[in-house]
Amino acid sequence: MDRRHFLKQSTLASSLFFVPNFIKAFESLPSHTLGFKRLVVIQLSGGNDGLNTIIPFNNDDYYRNRPTIGISKSDVLRASDDLGFHKSLLPLKKLFDQGHLTIINNVGYPNPNRSHFRATDIWQTASNSNQYWQTGWIGRYLDEYGNKPFNALEIDDSLSLALKGHKTNGIAVKNPYVLFKTSQDPYFKNVLNHYQDEHLSEHNLGYLYKTMITAESSAKYIFEKHKTAVSKQDYPSNEFAKQMKTTAKLIASNIETKVFYSSLDGFDTHAGQLNSQARLLKTYAETMEAFVNDLKQQGTFNDTLIVTFSEFGRRVKQNAANGTDHGAASNVFIIGNQLKTPGFYNNLASLSDLDDNGDLKYTIDFRSIYATILDKWLAVDDETILNTSFQKLNFI
Amino acid sequence: MKVQHIQHLYQRLGFGIVPNQLVQITNKDRHQIVDELFYKSSSMTNLSIDTTDLDHYTSETVIGNKKKLFEFRDKSKEKLKAYNLAWIERLINTNEALRERMTLFWANHFVCRDENVFHMVQYNNILREYALGDFGDFVKAISKEPSMLKYLNNKQNRKQKPNENFARELMELFMLGESHYSEEDIKESARAFTGYNNNFEGEFVFRRMHHDYGFKTFFGSTGRYNGDDIIDIILEQKQCARFICKKIYSYFVNETIDDAKVEELTSIFYKDYNIEKLMRHIFMSDWFYQQEHIGAKIKSPIEFLVGICRTVPVTFESSMDVLKIQKLLGQMLLNPPNVAGWKGGKNWIDSNTIMIRLKLPSILLANARISTKEKGEFEDAFEAYITKKRKNKFVNVTVDWETFEKQFADYSINELQELLLLPKLSEGTKTYLKTLSKSSKQEYCVQLMSLPEYQMC
Repeated sequence: MDRRHFLKQSTLASSLFFVPNFIKAFESLPSHTLGFKRLVVIQLSGGNDGLNTIIPFNNDDYYRNRPTIGISKSDVLRASDDLGFHKSLLPLKKLFDQGHLTIINNVGYPNPNRSHFRATDIWQTASNSNQYWQTGWIGRYLDEYGNKPFNALEIDDSLSLALKGHKTNGIAVKNPYVLFKTSQDPYFKNVLNHYQDEHLSEHNLGYLYKTMITAESSAKYIFEKHKTAVSKQDYPSNEFAKQMKTTAKLIASNIETKVFYSSLDGFDTHAGQLNSQARLLKTYAETMEAFVNDLKQQGTFNDTLIVTFSEFGRRVKQNAANGTDHGAASNVFIIGNQLKTPGFYNNLASLSDLDDNGDLKYTIDFRSIYATILDKWLAVDDETILNTSFQKLNFI
Repeated sequence: MKVQHIQHLYQRLGFGIVPNQLVQITNKDRHQIVDELFYKSSSMTNLSIDTTDLDHYTSETVIGNKKKLFEFRDKSKEKLKAYNLAWIERLINTNEALRERMTLFWANHFVCRDENVFHMVQYNNILREYALGDFGDFVKAISKEPSMLKYLNNKQNRKQKPNENFARELMELFMLGESHYSEEDIKESARAFTGYNNNFEGEFVFRRMHHDYGFKTFFGSTGRYNGDDIIDIILEQKQCARFICKKIYSYFVNETIDDAKVEELTSIFYKDYNIEKLMRHIFMSDWFYQQEHIGAKIKSPIEFLVGICRTVPVTFESSMDVLKIQKLLGQMLLNPPNVAGWKGGKNWIDSNTIMIRLKLPSILLANARISTKEKGEFEDAFEAYITKKRKNKFVNVTVDWETFEKQFADYSINELQELLLLPKLSEGTKTYLKTLSKSSKQEYCVQLMSLPEYQMC
């Protein structure tokens, strides 16, 4: 094909650019419904072994169940009389000592599911384990309180269910520049010029058109915000650190994004757990240290809350391959500057009174954490978003 | 048979039909056309690549030699990239369209991933071999494949320390679906699969010392069951047939499930779990050709890519390019996100993938660059950057327009639209099509492929 011809045609088209009503309505929505506080959610994908992350170093049951993969007392960074950090987590321990970290133990839900796929779905949708929801809790937050897709960003190539609502989706952006440049393609604009409302009524095809419209305007906004921001903080060199640096830059840009979502993968340690988990925890902790420093330098740490979870913990008893199988309840980390209960929020559950599968019993429902964040941090009606009332906690 | 119905059939059970093929069969009836498609797939062609340079890695040279093992792993990863390209090329060029389509379906059902190229090639050809065969035998074969034994940790499943991973996914993802079994069923069946193992050469090895020969109680019956027994007991559950039929219906007919149709299929499949009979029933049914199903599905990235290359033959010069495209579109063969596979449907589409999809035809066929390559820092004037002519191409391909022209020789430029777009067009799209220049079939073809409507099948 003659490329010049195409370019010519697209120039002509853009001079006649007609903005469909749908986009106009979308562009003119006010932003004042949004406050200033931001939430950063991080998933440790694969099911992090919470017991080898925050270690009960005085617990005989722990060492009895983990003869070869138990972390020896001398290797633990002690944080209380009973619990201590994995030695890869030294940077996190510093945040703990400074009062910037709350650790909530035994977080789970009734009848826990042990499949990655399903457990991740449950955490992302905030459903019961016998419910199947098509929307995520952040997506439903967008439905009610956000009005633009970039109110929630996933720092990745693709969008998780967590950020998909009934009518509004978040946007996945690994690199704002790349996203923008793609959205400015002449072909893309040409097709949008002829977009009609009747497309909307079509099931799948309508979805394609809707996605195109939101993509174009959001990509532009995100890029322009990101362009203005600078980060002077050094980050470790890995993909996860890159995600968090992008997050920090976007926060510095004053973007109208309330929720950032990212993940660190590889925690499914069925075999040879010791080395792989140590490496992953190091990546996590060093990155979080850099990220918090970055926010502090920008002056945004006070208004940013960082939540880290994993879809499940792992079985108390190790397996024959020096690893652990899928478990249930585990710990959740809350990092911030406005914590009411820095340190350990609650005690670790019993390692001798386990559920039928030999897993930790939960004492705090993860949706109580969501409800608390929605209510006390994002200041919205948690019940509308979670469809049920959950008891609020006291960590913020 | 109506042209549109032939196109629909070929889209769903193959990867589309080229015009001169279409001309040959329009006067045949449904029975003849479907028969012919099954006949062509009655043979099976293994998909393999040249791995002779890895032949010196054997259990004797590798086991216990870590250095050699790592060396093998690295080389193996490279070979897998070549295998990925070979698979894509197979999908584009195959004559066994139905078998390849089914293979692709099963690869997203019995989801698996492995770094060992020998084992993965073997696994891939097992999918191909059983693609239209007996479902029960299929599951049993899968349960003994080295790649699967590794992927779901069944190799580590021993009498002394059972590992439930495989048993759980067998029921949740491969045979029954969530909530149709108990945690107790998982524990008991995991014991039945203990002792399964394999050697480096890829043969199944049963380690009796690690097998639990005790009684297991599973779905209400008790016996000294082994893995095959467990699979047989699951097959007795009608839910198993229903689970598979629902997935087949969603993939081949419509994501909006029609329960009555699924029950119709279930009663057929439950009789003997013969996959070919089930598929034949679907493609022979009147309801398969209802208007609501035609052009109603969003193509998967692979269907989309393969479809373009079948219409306009493209030769990729580097397997890296093909991998890059798959990654951006969100589906890299041999590299599924997790054991649940790709969700499909609307899940293929987000802000990022929709943009890349619309741009891909021009990238492949018109040497247009796509905006995904980073340029380092981007302070310089953006406008200047996008208008600047750049020589580095996003992909290196050779486009065979000659074959395209031959294929479409008997059709006018106005007929291209019906050949390439399956959904009913809206007035807006029709108006847009009128604005396009129709001076060249090649150019018009790329323009049609760049429409959202082309994303549908």
